[in-house]
Amino acid sequence: MTSKAIIPCASALARPLAAVALALALAGCNKAPDTAANTSATPQNGGTLVYLEQQAHNALYPPNGGFYPNGGILNQITDKLTYQNPRTLEIEPWIAASWSINADATEYTFQLRPGVTFSDGTPLDADAVAANFDRFGLGDKTLKHSVSEVINNYARSEVLDPLTVKFHFRQPSPGFLQATSVIGSGLVSKATLALSLDQLGDATRIIGSGPFVVSGEVLGKEVNLQARDKYNWGPVKLAHQGRARLDAIKIIVTPEDGVRIGALLSGQAGLIRQVQAYDEKRVNEGKFPLYAASTRGVNDSLALRPDNALLADLKVRQALLHATHAKEIVQTLFSANYPQARGVLAASAAGFVDQSAELAYDAERARALLDAAGWKLQADGIRAKDGRPLALSTYESLNYVQNREVLQLVAQQWAKVGVQLNVLSGDLGSKTIDSLDPEKIALLPAMVGRADPDVIKSNYYPTNRNLLLQKGGISQKVQSFEDRKLNGLFEAIAAEPDPARRLELTRQVQRYLLAQAYVIPLFEEPQVYAGAPWLHGVDFEAVGRPSLYAAWIAPH
Amino acid sequence: MSRYLTSRIAQALLVLWAAFTASFVLLQFLPGDAVLIKFLNPELGLSPEQLAEIRLAYGADAPLWQQYGHSLLNFLRGDFGYSMQAGVPVSDSLATSLPPTLKLAASGFSAALLLAVALSFLSSQLGFGWLRAALQSLPSLFVSVPVFWLGIMLIQVFSFRLGWVPVINPGPWEGLVLPTLTLAVPISAPLAQILIRNIDAVLTQPFVAVARAKGASRSWVLWRHVARNALLPTLTMAGILFGELLAGAVVTEAVFGLNGLGSLTQQAVANQDTAVLQAIVVISATSFVLINLLVDLLYPVLDPRLRTRLEG
Repeated sequence: MTSKAIIPCASALARPLAAVALALALAGCNKAPDTAANTSATPQNGGTLVYLEQQAHNALYPPNGGFYPNGGILNQITDKLTYQNPRTLEIEPWIAASWSINADATEYTFQLRPGVTFSDGTPLDADAVAANFDRFGLGDKTLKHSVSEVINNYARSEVLDPLTVKFHFRQPSPGFLQATSVIGSGLVSKATLALSLDQLGDATRIIGSGPFVVSGEVLGKEVNLQARDKYNWGPVKLAHQGRARLDAIKIIVTPEDGVRIGALLSGQAGLIRQVQAYDEKRVNEGKFPLYAASTRGVNDSLALRPDNALLADLKVRQALLHATHAKEIVQTLFSANYPQARGVLAASAAGFVDQSAELAYDAERARALLDAAGWKLQADGIRAKDGRPLALSTYESLNYVQNREVLQLVAQQWAKVGVQLNVLSGDLGSKTIDSLDPEKIALLPAMVGRADPDVIKSNYYPTNRNLLLQKGGISQKVQSFEDRKLNGLFEAIAAEPDPARRLELTRQVQRYLLAQAYVIPLFEEPQVYAGAPWLHGVDFEAVGRPSLYAAWIAPH
Repeated sequence: MSRYLTSRIAQALLVLWAAFTASFVLLQFLPGDAVLIKFLNPELGLSPEQLAEIRLAYGADAPLWQQYGHSLLNFLRGDFGYSMQAGVPVSDSLATSLPPTLKLAASGFSAALLLAVALSFLSSQLGFGWLRAALQSLPSLFVSVPVFWLGIMLIQVFSFRLGWVPVINPGPWEGLVLPTLTLAVPISAPLAQILIRNIDAVLTQPFVAVARAKGASRSWVLWRHVARNALLPTLTMAGILFGELLAGAVVTEAVFGLNGLGSLTQQAVANQDTAVLQAIVVISATSFVLINLLVDLLYPVLDPRLRTRLEG
């Protein structure tokens, strides 16, 4: 799951709100938006938007919406119980008109908006909402539906009347309200919920209540969305209401970076996802707007695995932290849309603590720490202790931007203090298996976004993503590493009903993670899109998936 | 003839079974499996218990012979199973992927053949000039041009610069032009090379001199006598090149964003989507067998000397 905010970076898209977004994002754009450009234009209805996606979607079970190709479809065809304003991060009414939460956050009651229907004609009522969250909260083994990553401590639902539904939790679940707004909580009809995961790769079978419906699909190639004429239940606080402005959206899978950009610049497409930092200039020069949606979650980082014998020593981990020159990485490989990390979390994330001082690049200090830990420099430039060289291995991750280049640069930086980093790239199977063994793979790149403090737990808790590879997680290869204090903090965050106290705990976790040098934050990873100058009103949910409900095409 | 056919079909079935079994065994040697790749993805954040349940549901840890027997039986019944990655039945994936690849392969191959024939006949017509040398060195150039680069260049020039054919959302025939060219260039190279060599070799044969002495024109001799003789080895080569078509399609389809068998193969390999890969292997093996059978049956048509051997 990932969470992002929008920073419209080019002149054409600026709206009054851009100023707010800019302020929120702190270090967002390299260019000040020119507000005069398009605010006067009147939105138009009609037209088909060609949207180029890099990868094909897979099974569209809503909790799998974290995968961007899935999220790009699900965000147009499903509605959520609540709407998280991507600028303020406030939770606003959507399908739920109002809600109440008991004092210890174990009971949530939602009052639904009347008259909402799924595209198959069935009502989106309390019964349907209950069925959705029962599935997302508990999963279904026979249908291979997993429990949603964003829902903690779910017990059961209770339908009070046709428009009122109540959820009960085994323990406090303060993150649940925000969890009802995320991409992974899109509401689908009971007919869709009855399908096994093996059948959910067929987009035409995903029945939502959203502003668009899937009208057709060519597997692995394109998905066609059609506006729903009777749609009249968008988030109430949005300026645009009623039917979507576009008539249709054609999502076409175009794996090649160069082809996506060329197609946009030559007018064959209106919106493209994933513009690499080195391509941004080409887009800007053509006066095409770039949209860089910042992640509000855990920064692009290196997660060290203390179960590895070489990394068990805190001094070694600290040395690696100070030997890493994040500024050089950002300046060499990226653009202004990729701010250097100032802490574990993105600067715009809830509960962010500025830890720039702790992250300072200091090769001398790194060398001193390694000397103190007993690692002596050898003739080959690599340090060793008791005949064992200080050589670590990692795998590149295809999910993160220019990850191979980032890791290679880190390897060069570490080599300067006598540490060898091997950057492996292999088939997915080898990677999956090797990654379970901390002795083989000492560290891995990581990032995840979600606009809620739960995000940090998602990343490191043993039974979630378990990036530090603790005991009690999915790997059987871990010898002994387990940090009870850290896990205790995570459990406290997931169950703390008081918002202020929850943010305080989030700050404590961040400080602890760096004090132990478990992670080396590098930069904030955005989702970068580019659009045609004639495309307006493109918005993004809080995690950077496009919301095309209010998008419109100007005559061109 | 019918005995010949029966034995060929029996051979074909053996080849298919061997391909199926070999691919199954090889896939087992790869570390990890599709279930792990899909569900150990940290994006999903599954717990070990959930993962164990999913593995059980997919029968991923059943003994190998059981898995083998199960999928072989299903294949015999025409049930290819489910694609782990795409979340749809494999037959659905194939139904969408096969037609574009067949279309591309057919047009790419025809274009390659045309290109090769044009090139070789032109070069043999030209006598010994610098132009002939240039034409004869084209196949080496063609075969060394990276398909990937060629595709990108064609798109840049003809679609993005000149705007002649759209790459995104093209019509059924428009969309075929650039990929066909991309595919045809590397495949035409070995065909042209062999044709040129053979034409040169046949031209030195005494019967050509006789025909010329009788007053036949150079081009008449070339078409009537030389072509038939030079075509035979080319035909063999064409059968073998069919494999190139599939391999070339992987790259071409990625560049042009076509959803054919090539891109399906690439994704299936990356994700160890065993069910999809098995189906692709069987389909490729079947087409190889068929193409080679076709080539063998064409020999006697082109060369009367081979007819008697078959009939006898």
